[in-house]
Amino acid sequence: MTIGSSLGIAFRALSRNKLQTALTTIGMTIGVATVLTMIALGTGAQTAIEQQVRAAGMNLIVVKAGNYKTKTEDDVGGVVDHQAAIAPQSQVLLASFHPEDDPMEKHDHPTSRQRLGDVEAGLGAAATLTPADAEAIRGLRGVQYVSEGIHENVHAIAGDKRWFTRLHGGDTDLPSIKRSWTFPYGRFFTEREQSRRAAAVVLGSIAAQKLFGATNPVGRQVFLWKQPFQVVGVVSSGSWMVTAAAGDDQFDALYVPFTTIHQLLNLSKLNDISITAASTGDVTRVANDVTELLRARHRIAQNDPDDFTVVTQARQSLAKGGLRPDVARAVVGNVGGLEKVTLAQLGRTLDRAMKTMTALLASIAAVSLIVGGIGIMNIMLLSVTERTREIGIRRAVGARAGDVLRQFLVEAIALSVIGGVAGIALGALASGIIAQILRWSTALSPLSIALSFAVAAAVGVFFGYYPARQASRLDPIESLRYE
Amino acid sequence: MALLRVRDLVKTYQVGEVAVRALRGVTLGIDAGEFVAVVGPSGSGKSTFMHILGCLDRPTTGSYFLEDRDVSHLNDDELSAIRNRQIGFVFQGFNLLARTSALENVELPLLYGKQRISAGERRRRARVALEAVGLADRAEHHPNQLSGGQQQRVAIARALLNNPSILFADEPTGNLDSRTSVEVMDIFQRLKQDRGITIVLITHEPQVAEYASRIIAFKDGQIVSDQANHSPRVAVGELALLPAS
Repeated sequence: MTIGSSLGIAFRALSRNKLQTALTTIGMTIGVATVLTMIALGTGAQTAIEQQVRAAGMNLIVVKAGNYKTKTEDDVGGVVDHQAAIAPQSQVLLASFHPEDDPMEKHDHPTSRQRLGDVEAGLGAAATLTPADAEAIRGLRGVQYVSEGIHENVHAIAGDKRWFTRLHGGDTDLPSIKRSWTFPYGRFFTEREQSRRAAAVVLGSIAAQKLFGATNPVGRQVFLWKQPFQVVGVVSSGSWMVTAAAGDDQFDALYVPFTTIHQLLNLSKLNDISITAASTGDVTRVANDVTELLRARHRIAQNDPDDFTVVTQARQSLAKGGLRPDVARAVVGNVGGLEKVTLAQLGRTLDRAMKTMTALLASIAAVSLIVGGIGIMNIMLLSVTERTREIGIRRAVGARAGDVLRQFLVEAIALSVIGGVAGIALGALASGIIAQILRWSTALSPLSIALSFAVAAAVGVFFGYYPARQASRLDPIESLRYE
Repeated sequence: MALLRVRDLVKTYQVGEVAVRALRGVTLGIDAGEFVAVVGPSGSGKSTFMHILGCLDRPTTGSYFLEDRDVSHLNDDELSAIRNRQIGFVFQGFNLLARTSALENVELPLLYGKQRISAGERRRRARVALEAVGLADRAEHHPNQLSGGQQQRVAIARALLNNPSILFADEPTGNLDSRTSVEVMDIFQRLKQDRGITIVLITHEPQVAEYASRIIAFKDGQIVSDQANHSPRVAVGELALLPAS
């Protein structure tokens, strides 16, 4: 007997009693739907956390020009002597700078650099990073994206609207580094605009709102330093964890190719370079490589301190990187004394949390599938009893015990697979709805669908075997006499 | 030449503590093309006898040669293959699959044959078999839409599908009215006549046994008489005399 005719018999048998078939498969449907939804939510949560952690800087390395920090408060309120921390063995004291020369300082008036350009401004040791440095970093192993960074404050003028905001000069890689950006209008500036030093500007959603209200600003003009810039896009937060707000650094801001700012303000240096490591576990090594590379490029002697600062502090970025405070607390709270904790350890903690979640999912899955499977076994046993005479007839016309076994096994598998397919549909629907309502990203991978399907079939085999075996063991004569 | 031969056939069932001896040493030969009626009261062992001859059951002791092959010690799969190819059954209760069309019922033996037969070919052969019993126009009907006589004809078509050498009929007229009974007997007599099929008819009604050319009587698990019937009833003639239904 062929598989085709077994399947035919099974589907005919199942379609004869549609209500019973439907009721039987409900257990399976709910089981598989639960599994699929939970996997989708689980991997969705995992992906979301991973993305947020990355977006918050878990794999982000920022190289800042200068190494001029003095005493600042650290995250936990204590006072840290960064200079001592950075170059404890060095006897050379760093020059102190006028606050105006601090490239990280925010000003409400044009700085000396803006007035004079960086050479005349006498940035000295602070203006140490060049586009050539960034280019060299791009060549390092394990480096994924690199963006040159220049940060200024600017009065943006559009028509009669003025808005004082942050201006970021960056590379086309910047959206890839930020990850969670979306573009409600237009796009980011292109490679071509960057190389041609085009006067193209991307507005942060807050800046766009302040300058143009709710209308689409793409194609309109914004004046920066009295120069006309064409708006090519609006960037907004694509993450449920980060909300754009007035005064923030990301969305109350403008983005322009760094080449354009260099040209416009007659600059040749960078405030910082943002780098992402291709893998989160690799950040420390990449950071070390960057440090070595820049020390070599800047010809810094063995015992001299760096003339730049490499920042990889996970906690700093978690706490200040725009994460929702509760999420940041949750992530940080799971890792005591983050300063001492390497990224690898942080990764392990997240991993452990995911394993616990997976175990929970697996047990829920197991319970619902067992319940569904028992339902199928029950109905198949009933079916064997109901169809004893049919079994006798089939045996009389030459069906072997194996043919009967296969027929009932195929029927049980068909039942569970029907339930499984319905469950996949229901699960996809449920995770879609949950994603909509909770604004929680769900990931429905082909693998999880294939897995659900395979699990459904396996449940059919496991719970269908016993009834099928009972059917095949029936005595033909007894079965023929059965009323 | 004997189509089947049995020697000292004994069948003992264990029912609780009691051993029931259904067959107590039966020795018999049936030639190809014979129409044999097996008669006897219930409990005489005739059904057990038919089950063993029909390869649905195995004897406790004794030998059974079917077409010169010893089948008394074959395993279940081998017996299934013999039932499929060499034997056809017709039962008192028709034993058709419910909620299944006549055509699908008839093609059932082809599902379990050795060689693969395409669905189209199965259908074609089943249709030919249905035509032979005069039910071509009922092919898509389900058993509950057919009269008793029609159901039994479907069952006969199914039994004959693989061209078996022997047909076992267990009380085939038990559930039928007299005219339909005669119709079924007519089919059997024509099968014997036209196709040389050996028929073993189990019945407890002496007048039904009269259609056979040889009558074997069972009692208490043994053959008490085995006689040729030189003047069997002729179903086709009786049909002409009966009022049409």
